[in-house]
Amino acid sequence: MAKSAEMQKFKGTPGQIRRQRIERTGAIVISLVLAAWILVNLLKSPQQVAQVAVLGLRNGLLYALIALGYTLVYGIIELINFAHGDLFMLSAIFSSYFITVWFKQDESNPAGWLTFISALFAVMAFGAVINVLIERLAYRRLRNAPRLAPLITAVGMSFLLNFIGLKWNGSTPRQWPSVIPNNDIYIGEVRINMTTILLLLVGVPLLLALNFIVTNTKSGKAMRATAQDKQAAALMGINVNKTIAFTFAIGGAMAGAAGLLYQQSIGTTNYNLGFQLGLIAFTSAVLGGIGNLWGAVVGALLIGLVQGLNDGLPIAFGQQWSQTVVFAILITILVFKPAGLLGKVTTEKV
Amino acid sequence: MSTALVKPQNVTRSNRKWIIGYSIAGAFLYFVYQFLLNWEGLPLGIYDAINRWMPPAAVNESLVYVIMALGLNIVVGYAGLLDLGYVAFWAIGGYCAGWFMSEFFYFLKIHFFGAVPAEAPGIHINFWLVLIIGGFVCAFFGALIGAPTLRLKSDYLALVTLGFGEIIPQIFFNGENFFGFNISNGTKGIVQVDPIPVGFKDLGPFDFGWKLLIFLFLAAVMVFISLRLRRGRLGRAWLAIREDELAASMMGVPLMRTKLLSYAVGAFAGGLGGVAFATHVNGVYAERFNFAISIFLLAMVVLGGMGNVWGVILGAFVLSWVNGNGLSAFGALYNERFGTEIDFASFTFLLFGLVLILMMLFRREGLLPESRLKLVLHEGDIDEREASGKKAR
Amino acid sequence: MSNVLEAKNISVAFGGLLAVNSVDFDIPKRKIVSLIGPNGAGKTTLFNVLTGLYKPSVGTISYEGKDITDLPPHKIASIGIARTFQNIRLFGLMTAQENLLVAMHSKLKSGITSTILRTPKQRREESEAEDKAQYLLDYVGVGKWTYEFARNLSYGDQRRLEVARALALDPKVLLLDEPTAGMNPQETGVFIDFVRRLVSEKDISVMLIEHDMKVVMSVSERITVLDQGEKIAEGTSDQIKSNARVIEAYLGRAKEGRA
Repeated sequence: MAKSAEMQKFKGTPGQIRRQRIERTGAIVISLVLAAWILVNLLKSPQQVAQVAVLGLRNGLLYALIALGYTLVYGIIELINFAHGDLFMLSAIFSSYFITVWFKQDESNPAGWLTFISALFAVMAFGAVINVLIERLAYRRLRNAPRLAPLITAVGMSFLLNFIGLKWNGSTPRQWPSVIPNNDIYIGEVRINMTTILLLLVGVPLLLALNFIVTNTKSGKAMRATAQDKQAAALMGINVNKTIAFTFAIGGAMAGAAGLLYQQSIGTTNYNLGFQLGLIAFTSAVLGGIGNLWGAVVGALLIGLVQGLNDGLPIAFGQQWSQTVVFAILITILVFKPAGLLGKVTTEKV
Repeated sequence: MSTALVKPQNVTRSNRKWIIGYSIAGAFLYFVYQFLLNWEGLPLGIYDAINRWMPPAAVNESLVYVIMALGLNIVVGYAGLLDLGYVAFWAIGGYCAGWFMSEFFYFLKIHFFGAVPAEAPGIHINFWLVLIIGGFVCAFFGALIGAPTLRLKSDYLALVTLGFGEIIPQIFFNGENFFGFNISNGTKGIVQVDPIPVGFKDLGPFDFGWKLLIFLFLAAVMVFISLRLRRGRLGRAWLAIREDELAASMMGVPLMRTKLLSYAVGAFAGGLGGVAFATHVNGVYAERFNFAISIFLLAMVVLGGMGNVWGVILGAFVLSWVNGNGLSAFGALYNERFGTEIDFASFTFLLFGLVLILMMLFRREGLLPESRLKLVLHEGDIDEREASGKKAR
Repeated sequence: MSNVLEAKNISVAFGGLLAVNSVDFDIPKRKIVSLIGPNGAGKTTLFNVLTGLYKPSVGTISYEGKDITDLPPHKIASIGIARTFQNIRLFGLMTAQENLLVAMHSKLKSGITSTILRTPKQRREESEAEDKAQYLLDYVGVGKWTYEFARNLSYGDQRRLEVARALALDPKVLLLDEPTAGMNPQETGVFIDFVRRLVSEKDISVMLIEHDMKVVMSVSERITVLDQGEKIAEGTSDQIKSNARVIEAYLGRAKEGRA
């Protein structure tokens, strides 16, 4: 469409400009407060800041793997898949059983390593299959139903998976042995556990692989087309059902991998793990801009960092307010910048 | 279609028949629990059966759930806004009772027609007044929580309510030291709230029969409010928003105001329920206000039939009974008979999950649907022309 | 002043896209004017701007001399600018009567307490509103469907009900977005007569978006032509018919235009 000279200069209506200004001021204020907070802590105990930052970023990476499942699914069918966090929880329990109960590995040796690698593939397949089943059995039938219906179904699904977790894992947290090395290495005075490094070694390639799938492969292109416009995609010969199932599959596989990594690095599983972590991961996805892959990763790292700092720093709200801090971030973002940090605004069609 | 000339039942005004039916049902319950259960000539078998399957405490608790579910129904069923954090109002209402009807503020000594001796420390305000205070405090918070969500899409809105539903209970949970103040006694909870004064008698924690009447009355108030509002100007605006938000705004319905009112009225019921629940369990305990409660309430509304007051009452009764007593009673019986040791209480998650999923998949309108909702929820399923051809009521 | 509504220099941008570019137009009192143009010309966008759904990036809208550019949609509706939708947007599972009562929301006064207590004043107000709704339903010719769910009405009746709902706002300006779409020629004729009657009997001005050129040419006092977000012509039907740019806009891309 034509662009007149006047419109070239156009930056928005007075309302929009005011809003942009508020947004920008808010962002600056928040960043300044954060910076000041970190600085004060840094002056007090620099080693501790670095230490909790490492921990926070490690958690952030885990959140990122889970957040991707949310963001992919939301991107394609606009559904908040509440059950996704619980899928992660089930994957963690599955990993525990796979390694410790079925293959009876409990220490870090070549056999343990081998089991870990096969567990990675197994749990990713597990997550993918379960997620596809959920989509097939529940969500697909509700694709054209009013928004409320699939959302409520997803909440119900979350409860259902919770129940399976409860029966599988028991009602109390369970400790599991780790098959990956547990020694620490030191960079300066900052202690970095080997599990953290392993998380990086597995998590980062996974993220890159996912990015490759979505941007470069045929299936990935079909996904993006379907996300844009299902009808048009169908007209172009894309099998929409298959594409959506594929999306659930890779989202589920990511959650599966996250489950294994969590179980191996933290060592505990619990049936209600999914709810909290799921919400944190979803917050990450929203923070980054839902539907945006790298947004989810950036959001997750940020949330992990903030949470880590809050839980571990001398001057902070402390761990008992962890949830509140995360949800406060969620609400603030949703209210003031629903499109997220890297997302873009959409308007409703009439 | 020719029957349309007659006013269909669902739009007739002043249908007061329900009050009679409700009173009869209420009187029956009251009779059973106040007299029959205390009658010495009652055969032991019946006495045991009632106590096993439907003990007085379970009936009262179900009624509290009814009050809450009716409130949630205004938000979810009428206005079509998904609220996943309704437990926040339960908590706020509960702490209103905890603050104003106990010795929690031991350093104060404020009495206002309370049901305790005048020398007791703490704030002791009359139960009925606290009900109203709790209702309005919740309504205020309902609007406050609702305000930032108003411009959001429906699913984001669900998340923000969920967020508040987590934050508010956590504040109470950690409330023993909230910026230096003790606002909730934290995990210890506030134990012992004042009895309910009803003129001739003060109802303590074990006056189940009388409290049954009070809870029945509160539920009736909510039914009355729901029905009246539904048929008035505000109810129509809520429904219009549920049907088509954009068209509603183009027809002069102020979206923000109308949605806020639905939050406020819904939260009001949460306040009533919270205060009632505090007197029911004779205390306020932070760990009881968890996310699951919000979902239980949602399942009640969904099971019964979103938007239909009677459906919601049915759903609330059935599910709260199952959750509170039915499942464990059944489990005990089953284990006894078959010598098994299955933990039936743990099946609540399965049950509530299944209720939500199966209802949404196969009977979205609920067990007792509001006639109109039955259609909207099957929008995708029925051909337009077919629907209008079939229709004759 | 002879114009009930004036829009000056309206531009609407979505991101980098200019949907409407510096368009001026006005709606004279008690007249029927039309807005035409190929698909994607920005006609509905313009309606959305007039009803406050979109805010114009540049430009002002005044209604009866007052600036209404920054008013929210429900305010604009309640002061007298009513519309219908291209794809009917009734409240499907509310009765025909309720649909109209929703539109009277801003005129009714009763609040929560008076509704719960059902005060005499509230009851009187409600029954008056119902009478008015019935009058309007009769007026547009769907009076027998008062208690029928809107979605059960036939297509033509739904269009009529939508107009009745718009009229329930007591509008001075009525914006009709492709009201005859999907109607057969006979229904179209009846509808057009109805719109004429509306303008002559009630103090209403009508702006019409329409693809059916026969309708447009026969009914409009003045026609505004949009193409790619810009106003390319304005005038009586004879002037438009012979305007070279209009012909080019339509015929030059005959594949796009449905007219």
